[in-house]
Amino acid sequence: MTWHVAEEDLRAYAHGALTPPLLWSADTHLAQCARCREQLARSTDPVVLDAGWERLDAALDAPRPSLSERLLVRFGVADHTARLLTATPVLRRSWLLAVLFLLVTTVLVVRLADQPALFLALAPMLPLAGVALSYGPSLDPTYEMAVVAPLHGFRLLMIRTVAVLGAGLVLNGLATLALPGYGLLALAWLLPALALTATGLALSARLGPVLAPTAVGGAWLTLLAVAYERPHETLAPFTAAGQSGAAVVALIGALLLYRSRDRFDARPLGGFQGGGV
Amino acid sequence: MTPVPPVGPATVTATDLSLRFGGTRALDGVSLRLSRGVTGLLGPNGAGKTTLLRVLATAVPPDGGQFTALGHDPRTSSGRLGLRRTLGYLPQTPGFHQDFTAFDFVDYVAILKELSDRTARHSEVRRVLDAVDLSDVRGKRLKRLSGGMRQRVALAAALVGDPGFLVLDEPTVGLDPEQRMRFRELIAQAGEGRTVLLSTHQTEDVAMLCHRVVVLAGGRVRFEGTPAELTARAAGRVWSSAERAPHALAGWRTGVGTFRNIGDPPDGADLLDPTLEDGYLLALDGESAEVTA
Ligand SMILES: Nc1ncnc2c1ncn2[C@@H]1O[C@H](COP(=O)(O)OP(=O)(O)OP(=O)(O)O)[C@@H](O)[C@H]1O
Ligand SMILES: [Mg+2]
Repeated sequence: MTWHVAEEDLRAYAHGALTPPLLWSADTHLAQCARCREQLARSTDPVVLDAGWERLDAALDAPRPSLSERLLVRFGVADHTARLLTATPVLRRSWLLAVLFLLVTTVLVVRLADQPALFLALAPMLPLAGVALSYGPSLDPTYEMAVVAPLHGFRLLMIRTVAVLGAGLVLNGLATLALPGYGLLALAWLLPALALTATGLALSARLGPVLAPTAVGGAWLTLLAVAYERPHETLAPFTAAGQSGAAVVALIGALLLYRSRDRFDARPLGGFQGGGV
Repeated sequence: MTPVPPVGPATVTATDLSLRFGGTRALDGVSLRLSRGVTGLLGPNGAGKTTLLRVLATAVPPDGGQFTALGHDPRTSSGRLGLRRTLGYLPQTPGFHQDFTAFDFVDYVAILKELSDRTARHSEVRRVLDAVDLSDVRGKRLKRLSGGMRQRVALAAALVGDPGFLVLDEPTVGLDPEQRMRFRELIAQAGEGRTVLLSTHQTEDVAMLCHRVVVLAGGRVRFEGTPAELTARAAGRVWSSAERAPHALAGWRTGVGTFRNIGDPPDGADLLDPTLEDGYLLALDGESAEVTA
């Protein structure tokens, strides 16, 4: 043994006051280290100690959480939130790889053809698609159970949105770094991304999980096509005026979303898997 | 025949529930009362069983009608929340995150049920997994479990938090006979002190564990009462004959070579003791009679 559980951590452990991830280290370590078990036995009164042993028993047969879950907890996410997050369908490797592939291809094309608009058009759509797919019946196999659970649907939606949006923005950000030649312009996708995600979600409470993001994505592409017809240096959405517009839309979308929060609880978004309603 | 336990006060009362999908009336004015104990919901494919269970489990709101369960009215958001807090629901096709272990999955459902304290939640997860005999495989990934085991994981998830109202959609489907018996025992146990509504195609499920039975067909209630009452409906309407009886509503050749017929027997027919299945088939026949009338 190269290390041992600190005296005060042992005391906290016996009182059930130690929290993950320290708790996991202590569990694993105590199972192997006779010296620390003795120390634990000596340092606490018998009643508290019994509770400590019981804890240890219980902890040892609860399976160890997955790597992604342990990482989240290490970054300070509460363990129950971490589990809700790992159950997010799109935070799976397949989705992240697909997004990565799209971004890499786009960056390559942009570098070859000197067409930053291509990247700027695509980047805002990725978080929209990710968020749209992360809550609702299409990709979440446990949706029917989640709908009837007391946990507020909007809360689950927000937890997942923040996570998926975060992951999407990080990937976009990395892609931006690969396009240093365009300076600040390469970041012009950020506000449109927020605007599309917020309005897409707000509308999905009314139009359902397929129609809403499709409509919002379609509107974005139409807007770009119209802007493309105008002979300007920069496409309208990526000018200062366009960016302020995106910021306003993002705010309005967020407000609308908040106001329709109860709708996510009252009725399901679209049909359930396995047919039926 | 086992004595019929007295029916307690109604814990779930539904009035005139209706729900349509385009031209289909999946529920067409369903009224029923449930009390503590296990009530069976029998009906053919497309009868509306799943739709009714989804409405009662607050997964979909009805187009018309209303219901209360354990004193909660789901039309208000606080009533809905109250009902969801006391609900256990096993969907007909429960979905899983295949990469989760049995423990992870039940733990995930426990979190959805607002058990956020880790220690308390984990001991609850262990309790329900023990209850369905899955303690040995709790660390196994769901994709490595058999269909019957996964069904038990889903039942365990429904039992989290000791719900007062359990809604189980065809829980015994796809289980081998031994598992099915074990499952019936589990459900019977769960039915002690709780209101359990279970849908099934199997009259044996009803005969063996339900104190009440509701027959649903075409979105309407065809029968509501005790299994003994449903069986009694077929008294004097089941007979045996050497040849296929032409006017029988249903008839089939039995293992001993004679025909077993249901319907209006001819004079002097060799009457048989009715079973629950006979009563069920007769209750369903009311449907076609009404449709043609
Ligand atoms: N989303 C939907 N859209 C259209 N029709 C639907 C939908 N959901 C259910 N139905 C129809 O409603 C009726 C009742 O369906 P339901 O699934 O409730 O039957 P069930 O009794 O559960 O059948 P089974 O025994 O096959 O599970 C059927 O006619 C079905 O086709
Ligand atoms: Mg069904």
